Amino acid sequence: MTTAISLEGVVKTFGSTQALDGLDLEVRTGEVHAYLGPNGAGKSVTIRILLGLIRQDRGRVELLGGDPWRDAVALHRRLAYVPGDVSLWPNLSGGEIIDYFARLRGDLDTRRRDDLIERFELDPRKRASTYSKGNRQKVALVTALSSSAELIILDEPTSGLDPLMETIFQDCIREMASEGRTILLSSHILAEVEKLCDRVTIIRQGRAVQSGTLSDLRTTTRTSMTVSTDEPITGLEDLEGVHSFRRDVDHVHFEVDDPAIAEVMRHLAGLGIRSLVSRPPTLEELFLREYGDEPVDG
Amino acid sequence: MTPFAGFGHQLRFVLRLDRVRGSVWFAAMIGVVLASALSVLSLYGTVAERQIYAQVATADAALKAIAGPGYGLAAAEPTEGAVVMNEVEMYTYVAFALMSVFMLVRHTRAEEDGDRAELVRAAPIGRLAPLAAAGTWVALLNVVIGIGLAIAMTVVGLPVAGSIAFAAAGVGLGLVFVGITAVTAQVASSARSARSTASATLGAFFILRAVGDIGSGRLSWLSPLGWAQSVRPYADERWWVLGLLLATAVALFGAAVTLSARRDLGAGILPQRPGRTEASPRLDGPLALALRLQRGSVIGWGVGMLISGYFLGLIADQADQLAENDAVAQILDQAGQGSITESYLATMMLMMAIIATGYTVSSMLRPRGEERDGRASPVLATPVGRRRWLFDHAAVAAGGTFLIMALCGLGAGIGYATSTGDAGQVLPLLASALTMVSPMLVLGAFAAALIGVRPGWSAIAWAGVAVVAVIGYLGETLNLPQWARDVSPFTHVPLVPAVPFDLLPVALLAAVTVALAGVAAVGISHRDIG
Ligand SMILES: Nc1ncnc2c1ncn2[C@@H]1O[C@H](COP(=O)(O)OP(=O)(O)OP(=O)(O)O)[C@@H](O)[C@H]1O
Ligand SMILES: [Mg+2]
Repeated sequence: MTTAISLEGVVKTFGSTQALDGLDLEVRTGEVHAYLGPNGAGKSVTIRILLGLIRQDRGRVELLGGDPWRDAVALHRRLAYVPGDVSLWPNLSGGEIIDYFARLRGDLDTRRRDDLIERFELDPRKRASTYSKGNRQKVALVTALSSSAELIILDEPTSGLDPLMETIFQDCIREMASEGRTILLSSHILAEVEKLCDRVTIIRQGRAVQSGTLSDLRTTTRTSMTVSTDEPITGLEDLEGVHSFRRDVDHVHFEVDDPAIAEVMRHLAGLGIRSLVSRPPTLEELFLREYGDEPVDG
Repeated sequence: MTPFAGFGHQLRFVLRLDRVRGSVWFAAMIGVVLASALSVLSLYGTVAERQIYAQVATADAALKAIAGPGYGLAAAEPTEGAVVMNEVEMYTYVAFALMSVFMLVRHTRAEEDGDRAELVRAAPIGRLAPLAAAGTWVALLNVVIGIGLAIAMTVVGLPVAGSIAFAAAGVGLGLVFVGITAVTAQVASSARSARSTASATLGAFFILRAVGDIGSGRLSWLSPLGWAQSVRPYADERWWVLGLLLATAVALFGAAVTLSARRDLGAGILPQRPGRTEASPRLDGPLALALRLQRGSVIGWGVGMLISGYFLGLIADQADQLAENDAVAQILDQAGQGSITESYLATMMLMMAIIATGYTVSSMLRPRGEERDGRASPVLATPVGRRRWLFDHAAVAAGGTFLIMALCGLGAGIGYATSTGDAGQVLPLLASALTMVSPMLVLGAFAAALIGVRPGWSAIAWAGVAVVAVIGYLGETLNLPQWARDVSPFTHVPLVPAVPFDLLPVALLAAVTVALAGVAAVGISHRDIG
């Protein structure tokens, strides 16, 4: 399998702000890769480096087999980009802007464009200054999704879309994925990530803290358990590897690091287990932990 | 809630935002006027010196067009005040007007274009409070500068009454432009167009009174700039004219308030038509887009330069008549090498070129605005190289500069031909106007180099325009040393048609332009875009 994007030990500082601090990232050709992290983690900075807009201070960056800074123009023929903050020329209509970008890339496909405009219910005649935030975002999405680029980079593309449009966006991404295109999606919307993405990289403070498939992330981490027993449960919360311990009327809830499961089961076995529900953590739980303050070694 | 609720709060807010800006305007205006006045007083200290000055000034059409009718110069013994006024009055009034335009747009229309006005309006603040607070603050700034000015003029030894009249006329004109800008801010659909409409109005008033002052003076009464001059500081002040200025200001501001009550936030009074569904086939690259974005401003400047040129050409033959007196004609002849008419026309071209540098620089700073507003990144993420992107914008700035100067030259030639029946000046004036493009491009390239190397400092390009304007308009008045004048590229350009065209300085200026463009190219390829 070939790689579309690979970063190794990338460092970028702005004055005294360390935006990226030894970042590693690998996106394989043809996959939908989610790029997650709390606000200010360095996602947008990474994307700007990939677009050749800014240059890393240290580290190696490769995009579609080239150097994004040196080979910017050639590489840009093969990619499309949706910015997070969409700013458009106020006097131009949405339709004009969509066509303009298509011509810059040299791949205006009117059929595809018209189809997308219809699906996203965008009025292309309106001047950009009169679009709402969601509609500005739609202009940027139609621009990128109507292209035939082999790599699509999206920086929080759906933060202003309504749920209906969100669904249409997901359909579009699935279609593109099925055509074998590579997609890098930075997002805060976990449901979207869960539905669309093959693999995930989570960064914090400019470093990757997790990377892998969703099921990898789930299984290599913790399990949530809800247990009730005949005898009162004591001492469990003091065991190594048990977290978020909570007591209800007749249940206890906790999360347990997978290596500690055996120990927990031994502890519970003598107490007469009446019921035990165990499930992998939800993405939500996963991210809250990764985003939280205690760094976790992948 | 009353429409003016929260006025006081809003006023304190804008005051806080403008502490630095307001102080800079105060210091710059008082500083330049004070320095000019001191310099004039030292140059024309004796009655005899002032008599010679008055003879020449009243006969020099160029000076009349720029400075006005020169009240008090016709007296047997012209006073110091009259000479100082002829040198500094007009610039001072123009500065008051420009300050009002920029400051008022900044706090009204520009706020609406961003999203901040919505935040403010959502707070418990009346609908009209922001406009009222902005108007009050800019009016206040005018008054404060006026008081400073009156004190400064008195301190250098000029009569108190005249100093007060001078400052009051400046304030009055400033207030009229607070009113005019308040109206354009309601009518226009963006801050840029609000600003340019108000500035164009100022330009039109200037031309009206220039033509009026060279002729019978009747046209000057159509221009508030002419009214301000008719207050006649230091020359038998006519105080009642101040009432005219004030009444006009109040009426205009009232009109703006009425208009503002009738329109939606962020919209102009003039409705926006829906745009195209698809882009025209010509919109196929950064050059085409830059052209499209700047079409309006090029047309506006072009029309303005054509009309201004026409009127300046139309009155050119009166330059000869003014200088009928042989002795005066001799003095003027020594100043320039060509005929009196030719040196008048050459001076006018220089003045127009310095004004039009405003276009060159603002056009060249567009890519910086594109970058700051986040519109550059998506374009540069397509197969458009950075250098091409910057240079396509530069091409529009340079092409637009050529075009508007050509129109200015053409207008002057046609105007001259209209009044004299002699079409022979059309080509020389076109040549004169186009020669002026070379120093203008130096300033444009300076702006480009700043964008390439230090984008955060690109506003310094405007300081460059201010410097060449001070050197060009006030170099004589301030009695600047030659090395200081040499800083301005306009100092080096041959003043065709008063002197023959000389390739060397033009080629050198072109070389400087190319060097600065090279700096811009290297800079933009190596820095972060963001
Ligand atoms: N041009 C710049 N100058 C200075 N600091 C910057 C610049 N660009 C980014 N930073 C800093 O780098 C860090 C990472 O920013 P980045 O925009 O990549 O965050 P992000 O992960 O995209 O966050 P969000 O989810 O809020 O979009 C932040 O601390 C930000 O302040
Ligand atoms: Mg971001």
